[in-house]
Amino acid sequence: MKIDFILNGNAVSIESTYTRRLLDVIREDFDLTGTKEGCAEGECGACLVFMDDLLVNSCMVPMANAVGKSVVTIESFAQTEAYKSIENAFMSSGAVQCGYCTPGMVMAVYELFKKYDAPTLQQVKEGLSGNLCRCTGYQMIFEAVAMLVKEGYRYD
Amino acid sequence: MINSYRPTTVEEALQLIHQKRCHIFAGGTDLMIRKRQWQGAERKFTQPVVFINGIDSLKNIEETDTHYIIGALVTQTEMAESHLPEYIRVPYAQMSHPAIRNIATVGGNIVNAASVADSIPILLALDAEVTLQSVEGERTIPLGAFILGKYKTVRKDNELLTYIHIPKKNYNAYYYKKIGQRKASILSKVSVFIVHHKLDEIAITIGAVNPMVIRSVQLEKQFIKDHSIPDLIQGFKAILSGVNDKRSTKDYRETVAINMIKTYLEGVINEL
Repeated sequence: MKIDFILNGNAVSIESTYTRRLLDVIREDFDLTGTKEGCAEGECGACLVFMDDLLVNSCMVPMANAVGKSVVTIESFAQTEAYKSIENAFMSSGAVQCGYCTPGMVMAVYELFKKYDAPTLQQVKEGLSGNLCRCTGYQMIFEAVAMLVKEGYRYD
Repeated sequence: MINSYRPTTVEEALQLIHQKRCHIFAGGTDLMIRKRQWQGAERKFTQPVVFINGIDSLKNIEETDTHYIIGALVTQTEMAESHLPEYIRVPYAQMSHPAIRNIATVGGNIVNAASVADSIPILLALDAEVTLQSVEGERTIPLGAFILGKYKTVRKDNELLTYIHIPKKNYNAYYYKKIGQRKASILSKVSVFIVHHKLDEIAITIGAVNPMVIRSVQLEKQFIKDHSIPDLIQGFKAILSGVNDKRSTKDYRETVAINMIKTYLEGVINEL
């Protein structure tokens, strides 16, 4: 069937079943491979996207639940000023090693600042609790967020 | 080929589920996992699927003089960020992790009726009731009567859970703790929820130990009368029937549940 939604600001229409995952549509139909498949059960956060400005695991979203929604992937988010500051902080802190978790991690950091102006370490840990990273041991990622707090980073 | 539907009104959904036995799909944070096959393959549904997330009328939190009325499609994030009392908001804020809370629904967690569902101990302690609607009519029943066991409820195939009613109470203190392998994004090994007003009114539930959430109104009444923690603990010990599984052991679950209740209530009594 025909499914309409908004992807990275553009109205798109695809031929798909309702049960297909948003993750597969993003990667296969649109070749946007920044969104990763990790655990495929909503635990690891590698597949995070924004849907109507909310952070969601795209592996958990069947296309039926994306009808008419506005979906933003890392490719589009990476064009924003909000992203650039997070990228800088991640690079300066060595918060990226293999990079597989990074798109999801960056988006979760952005969502974290939506909730708190200056998140504490506890709030950072809670906010990133849905993102697994097997390389960094998380410390450098927490440091990147601490750097953003110090710089007065704000959600916009 | 399995048919799938996306109704946008309750009436439309009720018509669909009345005609055939269907999977009813809300947020999908459980069904997407349970119905998966191999990587890249579509979910394996064996019945027609009715996606109800487009029904906007079930996405509101309302209140009357006596009750909070929660639409079945309200998300866990919306619960956590609502104006509901802290003893409801805080447990919802601790479920899973932020991105899952953004899509997981209040109704889904109840209908799914997993023995480890984190919302059920809370709602059961608060005497919540659920409304089930079908083309034939509707009924509102206590949550305790709705759930029959692990993944089992009294919901008929043609019924849709539409609202959750939580009575307003004058509780002024609560305790909520869930124990898992890590703090977030984990299925509980055991959880304890206690809500009370001094020691005049109290409700205690234990989640994830027995196949069903444990609550004993009789033990609560006795405790209000005699404030005897040893008797209360003895009473709970008699009804705990935990199991060993991949997440934990019977001994661990039961000991931790008892210790949490004991430690918290001793503190409350000391402060009286």
